[in-house]
Amino acid sequence: MKIALAGNPNSGKTTLFNRLTGKSESVGNWSGVTVSVKQADLKKKYQPMDRAIQIVDLPGAYSISPFTSEEAITRDFILDDAPDVIINLVDGANVSRSLYFTTQLLELGIPVVVALNKSDILAKRGDKLDLAALSKELNCPVVPIAAALEEGLAELIAVAVKLIDQESRQVTPQFLKDDVVDEGLTRQRVVTEILKKCQVKKNVASTITLTDKVDRIVAHKWLGLPIFFGIMWAIFSFSIEGLGGYLSGYLNDTVFGEIVPNAANGFFEALGVSPILQALIVEGAIGGVGAVIGFLPLIMVLFFCLSLLEDSGYMARVAIVMDRFFKKIGLSGKSIIPMIVGSGCAIPGVMATRTIEDINEKRMTTILTPFVPCGAKLPIIALFAAVFFPTSTWVGPSMYILAIIMILLGGLILKKIFVWENSSHFIMELPEYKIPSFKNAIIQMFDKAKAFIYKATTIILVCNTFVWFASSYSWGLKPVEDQSLSILASLGTVIAPILIPLGFIGWQLAAAAVTGFIAKENVVATFAVLLAVASEDALHMPGGVITEFFTPVTALAYLVFNLFTPPCFAAIGAMNSEMGSKKWLFKGLAFQFGVGYTLAMLVTQVGSLLVYGTPAIGFIPAIAISISLVLVLVVIIRRADFKRAQLGVEM
Amino acid sequence: MVLSKVKIGQTVVVKGIEGKDKMKKFLFSLGCYEGEEITLISVLAGNYVVNIKDSRYAIDAKMAKSIMIEA
Repeated sequence: MKIALAGNPNSGKTTLFNRLTGKSESVGNWSGVTVSVKQADLKKKYQPMDRAIQIVDLPGAYSISPFTSEEAITRDFILDDAPDVIINLVDGANVSRSLYFTTQLLELGIPVVVALNKSDILAKRGDKLDLAALSKELNCPVVPIAAALEEGLAELIAVAVKLIDQESRQVTPQFLKDDVVDEGLTRQRVVTEILKKCQVKKNVASTITLTDKVDRIVAHKWLGLPIFFGIMWAIFSFSIEGLGGYLSGYLNDTVFGEIVPNAANGFFEALGVSPILQALIVEGAIGGVGAVIGFLPLIMVLFFCLSLLEDSGYMARVAIVMDRFFKKIGLSGKSIIPMIVGSGCAIPGVMATRTIEDINEKRMTTILTPFVPCGAKLPIIALFAAVFFPTSTWVGPSMYILAIIMILLGGLILKKIFVWENSSHFIMELPEYKIPSFKNAIIQMFDKAKAFIYKATTIILVCNTFVWFASSYSWGLKPVEDQSLSILASLGTVIAPILIPLGFIGWQLAAAAVTGFIAKENVVATFAVLLAVASEDALHMPGGVITEFFTPVTALAYLVFNLFTPPCFAAIGAMNSEMGSKKWLFKGLAFQFGVGYTLAMLVTQVGSLLVYGTPAIGFIPAIAISISLVLVLVVIIRRADFKRAQLGVEM
Repeated sequence: MVLSKVKIGQTVVVKGIEGKDKMKKFLFSLGCYEGEEITLISVLAGNYVVNIKDSRYAIDAKMAKSIMIEA
């Protein structure tokens, strides 16, 4: 038996879904958090007589005729998968808009239960809704619920199940006469008539509220941007340098630096395990995975803070603030939402581009979103900041500022090299602010922690074991004393020359960067495994063994290289499905690689000249590459200009 | 007159929407169509914050110019 949750964006479908199933799908106080169909089994607690019931969470929609691709997902699911019953969430904050969709759902021939959510907002405004009268008008059950507080859910499910079981079908009142001329307009009138009979409005919605007053400050023309930067800086420095950094430091230095390896070594020696196996486990598995898991507190603190922020309703305001700047690069404020989601993980970030209606704007946003450092890149940032810049607190948070700058610059270049006309409009619902839920933030935090540990003990463990093996054995499968004779060294040497103009010397750096495409945390884990032989010290010590490979300037360049080249394979997969064409995917990946490579090269070469007064290694090839890059860019832009002139497209 | 010319705090009646059909339909599903009231709440960073039915929306200047209102 399948129960689908449908309703307007931000009406609380995913909150209800999480409460009904015990899942922890991400929720937020803005439109378009859910962009795909999510299914899960109903909790035992709500199951009537042990019947298996599946709950399906759908993206929000204002109407059955879709405007964006995420609305189309909802329509397609309801029409093609025919759920047994639809729970239609009616948003207490906007009953009349919700009912427009309700009347459409009722006409589909699928049983519908209306769940009135957020009735607290309705009550706060002093409005009254007669549920019995509404139920009579719609000829469908209406159940009041408070999804966030888990109130009324048992009754809701009971009513839904009863609807499926009953012999007679739910009879939908004929809202529209057969000969209506304007279907939509008539429907709106029907809704108005229904509401006249069951709603008493006391308050005029257009009076200025506290939310409006707050908006005038946080989305102010001049104050908006500094406030946004301030909040982001606070969150990232609290995660990287503050509480998150402090706890990670302890975990890295003490727990995974001493206690765990010592205990493991002692344990295996006592067991008399072969030294090779012991080395594999302690250096390969524990060393690499430990180096990544050490950053767990960082991830947890970051997700806790982001979750609070998302729940408050502030994100929709960021879209207004950024709209002006994004318009200059052919995008709109809508594009900021995928990027904010992308600061957690690029995969849901790229998927969030579904809320963008214009296909070109969507593609540009898909290319630019992975520039935002995701949670998996955080360990790389934290490692390099701790080792090379132990005294400065600006390195970590400034990577996010750099990301915003690169998005704007990248957008400008994209606008010049691709011929397209942006015809989209920007519209964004502004939900009322609310006090973020601590409980939700904690659930999200542990959910992300679980996912992080899972990733570290599966894909990263496998990669690490391979890295350890490939760096300890030769092609003849004989153990090597000198890593430079190993399999990994010979593989890394093939790629290493490409990195010379960036000042990165050594097959190890190439190997680490390549493993990063499988999962970005691998960059840290690979260094941990490769350098375990060279030093007893933990990888994260200021001035540690990793400094043999880098000057502070090239370290910064290496960091930038890993942040701005294409994301991990999973995120590339998400890009592929959102782009909808392989040609665009390759264009996007080439662009990302070009940006990451060029930026790293500039940091190394210009930085070395400025800081040390001498050019870095690879200066001559770097100049040659720069000149050819500029030439290629000029040719591409010329061609695009020509095409634009032909098509009459304005910039 | 167009919506972008309205004074802050003023409630006006929509006369029509100019532009693509898809956009018209979307605004329609929000409750913004001929004969309905719309209130300009504020102008923030170049965007117009409006009240349609019981909700607030931010719309850009281009869109605010495509909403015709009764003068």
